[in-house]
Amino acid sequence: MRGFEFLRPGTLNEASALLATGDAAARPFAGGTGLMLMMKTGVFSPSRLVCLRQTEAEHRAITPTGDGGARIGALASLSQIEHDPLLCRLAPVIARTMTTLANVRVRNVARIGGTLAHGDPHMDMPPTLAALRASVVTSGTASRTVPVEALYAGYYETILQPGELISAVLLPDQTGWHSVYLKCTTRSADDWPALGVAVSVRMDGTTITDSRVIISAATEKLTRVAAAEAVLNGATAGLAAFTAAGEAARAVETIEDARGSAAYKTELVGVYVRRALQQATGAGGN
Amino acid sequence: MNEIRSISAKQVGRDVPRLESRQKVTGRAEYTHNITLPGMLYAKLCRSTVAHGRILSIDVSAARDLPGVHAVYTGETIRTLIAEPYFGPAFHDQPILAIGKVHFVGEPIAVVLAADPYVAAEAAQMIVAEYEELPAVFDEVEAMTSAAIVHETLKPAGTFADLKHLSGKSNTNVALDYQLRRGDTDAAFAAAEHVFEHEFHTQQVMHTPLEPMVSIAEPGDNCLTIYTASQSPSFVCTEIARLFGWRENQVRVKVPYLGGGFGAKLYIKLEALVAAAAMLARRPVKLSLTMEEQFYTITKHASTFRIKSAVNKDGRITARRCEIFWNGGAFADIGPRVTQKSGFTSPGPYDIDNVSVDSYALYTNRPPAGALRGFGIPQLVWAYESHTDLLARGIGMDAVEFRRRNLLREGRPQATGTLMHDAAIIEVLDKTAELMNWTAPFERGEGVIRRGRAIAIGFKAVVAPTTSGAIVNLSADGSAALYMSTVDMGQGSDTAMAQIVAETLGLVAERVKVVHPDTDVTPYDMATLGSRSTFHMGNAVKLASLHALEQLGAMAREVGLPEGTNYEIRDIFLKKYGMQAGNIIGVGSYVPPYTSPQKGTGLSDNVTPFWMVGAAGVELSVDTETGHVTIDRLINVADVGRPLNPAIVATQLSGAAMMQLGFTLFENMDLDHGQVTNASLADYKIPGMHDLPTVMDNVIVDNNQQNGPYGAKGVGETATFGVSPAIANAIEDAVGVRLTSLPLTPESVLRGIRALRGEKLEG
Ligand SMILES: Cc1cc2nc3c(=O)[nH]c(=O)nc-3n(C[C@H](O)[C@H](O)[C@H](O)COP(=O)(O)OP(=O)(O)OC[C@H]3O[C@@H](n4cnc5c(N)ncnc54)[C@H](O)[C@@H]3O)c2cc1C
Repeated sequence: MRGFEFLRPGTLNEASALLATGDAAARPFAGGTGLMLMMKTGVFSPSRLVCLRQTEAEHRAITPTGDGGARIGALASLSQIEHDPLLCRLAPVIARTMTTLANVRVRNVARIGGTLAHGDPHMDMPPTLAALRASVVTSGTASRTVPVEALYAGYYETILQPGELISAVLLPDQTGWHSVYLKCTTRSADDWPALGVAVSVRMDGTTITDSRVIISAATEKLTRVAAAEAVLNGATAGLAAFTAAGEAARAVETIEDARGSAAYKTELVGVYVRRALQQATGAGGN
Repeated sequence: MNEIRSISAKQVGRDVPRLESRQKVTGRAEYTHNITLPGMLYAKLCRSTVAHGRILSIDVSAARDLPGVHAVYTGETIRTLIAEPYFGPAFHDQPILAIGKVHFVGEPIAVVLAADPYVAAEAAQMIVAEYEELPAVFDEVEAMTSAAIVHETLKPAGTFADLKHLSGKSNTNVALDYQLRRGDTDAAFAAAEHVFEHEFHTQQVMHTPLEPMVSIAEPGDNCLTIYTASQSPSFVCTEIARLFGWRENQVRVKVPYLGGGFGAKLYIKLEALVAAAAMLARRPVKLSLTMEEQFYTITKHASTFRIKSAVNKDGRITARRCEIFWNGGAFADIGPRVTQKSGFTSPGPYDIDNVSVDSYALYTNRPPAGALRGFGIPQLVWAYESHTDLLARGIGMDAVEFRRRNLLREGRPQATGTLMHDAAIIEVLDKTAELMNWTAPFERGEGVIRRGRAIAIGFKAVVAPTTSGAIVNLSADGSAALYMSTVDMGQGSDTAMAQIVAETLGLVAERVKVVHPDTDVTPYDMATLGSRSTFHMGNAVKLASLHALEQLGAMAREVGLPEGTNYEIRDIFLKKYGMQAGNIIGVGSYVPPYTSPQKGTGLSDNVTPFWMVGAAGVELSVDTETGHVTIDRLINVADVGRPLNPAIVATQLSGAAMMQLGFTLFENMDLDHGQVTNASLADYKIPGMHDLPTVMDNVIVDNNQQNGPYGAKGVGETATFGVSPAIANAIEDAVGVRLTSLPLTPESVLRGIRALRGEKLEG
């Protein structure tokens, strides 16, 4: 392994400047859990790593936003998020998802910014946060706010520009919404999922007024399934609507790998979308 | 305290905590990975990128020029030191580094040495090889007739008489064709009421010891010391001496604790390479494989098993024909032994008059395969116990009753003609059925969940004949040390052997010191493999202890003490020497009686010194919408003779069953034209805590192995036998789907469910 530079700037702006060099082998380094795996297997050989941890004091807080939501600094660790009282109240699905996300050692080290920027479609937090209608705030030359589901351009690819860093995640108010994330593994329990399904449903009595259906792992990148949402919105919560939503979700393009064929994953999509909706709403049996 | 008399007979059968536990949990236990030597160089390998090809060139110049690189060697460099640098336990087919051609993706073609392992790794990536690709063969059945030939000529090692006829054979991938013939199968099939025939497959999987392979060689003056994570120090010593044309006493092999082995660290693996590199460089050389590299080193045979049985109207099996194809990969390793020694048990633990077995060891262009916790038996039991359930189903008989009618009983001849003794087959079956409450109604599930249950039973003959030696040193203060070459790789052999010493000499097991394998110090042992140590080494240790006891008795007589004296050991020494001085050396060696099978028929009146028997009972739930299988209960029942240490036996049973559960449900080396595409623990999944069955019971039946040390016999593999077929049988019981290929993935279950409804998965 060749040597590389390891820099520790004190602010995100400095970090952005150090990264906007046009060199694809220069990368930000948050928890490093994703990067180190890629470096060990030789998939990625950095020329420069820009560590973001010196900016922690400023960028790891989790704070209420005043409109019922929360702002999570990009350097917040997954463990911190898992145990944060505000988030546990606002969106308990996050803490539940964490229990099967890696292990406590990884969660102690991995940061939410790194987790979202990694771009591996098998990960659990991106679909969960997308279903919660979260968005990321970026810093750099052109700061912007991007919905999580719009962050991904492809397999391990995001729309972030060189030097553009995630500085925070914004979580909106969840009043009236019910959310579930289901992780479906087909080999060992700790395998990467063959399919991840995250759903959020907003209810008025028994009527569904709004919804999010997100598919991950089985697809090339995290995918929001508008067709399934269209079936749900305005329908009465129950087996018929959920089954129809599952059917609609089967239209997403699944990909074959060691965890299953594309056809099998399509079957799983139909079943898991229905089951996720049943669990989220408590309607339609289980 | 009178240690000689009062503690005696309480040492075996006691749950002595593992002697090394404290060392291990405090991080003090010695492992080869932690050893560094002055002036040591780190080795890194460059590996073949093609499955089969002639080497046109290997350009090492860039690697050699990288600052910090000490040397780069190829097969040709090795040849300047060793004219015929090929090794292997059955065939001398494996080059230290590739010569002339490569046989699989991942075969080592060059090695880089550097004082910094990262420099070595970077340089290894700078080596450029060119190949002329040759046609390759990957499937074991195709290898029987393929035009692609892995090795031009066969090179049996000559150590095994039954491989001699293969010497110099060319144009074949068959490394061994084993046959067994008993009775008249043709006539029995012609006269049969029912005939059933099935074909079963297993996939290639890996041992995955959490300590990857590691070896160090330290050159001396016409001698070598090798520190290695090996299960067979004695074999390493012999084979290195043979390669260098040296005497055995010029090679010293030392083995500390192992972080798991499971058959991966048998015979020689990295030792020949580090030895050659160290001699060339005149510096100590260490090679530590990464977890990823283990996928290119040794694996478990994929297999195809065609099995056909005749059953009469009373539900008795009258004939069985077995044809087994073992996918040995590029080098034979111990595959030919697996083919034969397991092959003769392929008809199962059943009393069948007419049997024919053909078992073939095949070369293919895959990573090599060897022995993995069961020496081929799990592949066989998977097939014959799936088949046996299908027979019972086919004639409408209860699966337990059908087995009970056909199982071998005490004194009856097994397929080879050897009479069964001390094999508690019926007892194991009955215990399993009893624990499962087999005759009571069973809850079948509701909604999308369907439940099923089943059993499977298998047996194994320990590999024979093999030798073990042991030395017991009784010191003047009455303390004892045991010198032996059995390797403790986590199975608890140090503790069990200390218990035998303590039981025999009337000591406390916890205070017996066990000296780890060092071929300059500890006597020969064939290897720590195939559940052989408890029996073979156990007998040798007992004999050595008895030998010491005999000398102690003689010493007591010599100093005028009466027969059966209650003098303590140290007082007897004191009386003899007048001070704390002297010692007693007890030696023991053991090789069981054995009759070589007849050529052609495979018949023998004494094919093995003992049989291991294991059964699994499974209750499971199937999600009929996704095919997911949940193991609600797994019962492992075993005949281990008398357990020397019941707590360790229980962990061997649960560990073996869990390992086999992984091979059953999901472990699988994915190959794309010979390239392993999931060579990492992120992509090759082994069972973790969350994969444990909801309930798991490990049960030992009462038995006594009369020729075993204190009635004991081997246990390390027994609980692997029944797991795969019991699960497949229970899946059929639950949802009517019969799966014939491992692993039993949720997708294959769902496809089966859909096929029963006449539907296919779309896409
Ligand atoms: C053993 C193990 C098990 C795992 N199991 C799971 C699992 O079950 N489920 C799951 O979802 N994940 C799992 N993961 C993946 C884990 O979630 C990721 O490795 C982790 O979330 C990445 O966060 P990090 O802070 O360590 O990122 P890093 O490794 O530091 O960075 C990851 C990527 O993001 C970039 N980056 C980092 N911070 C920023 C930023 N602020 N702005 C822009 N780009 C940035 C980096 O340049 C890099 O490309 C596992 C990982 C390991 C090692």
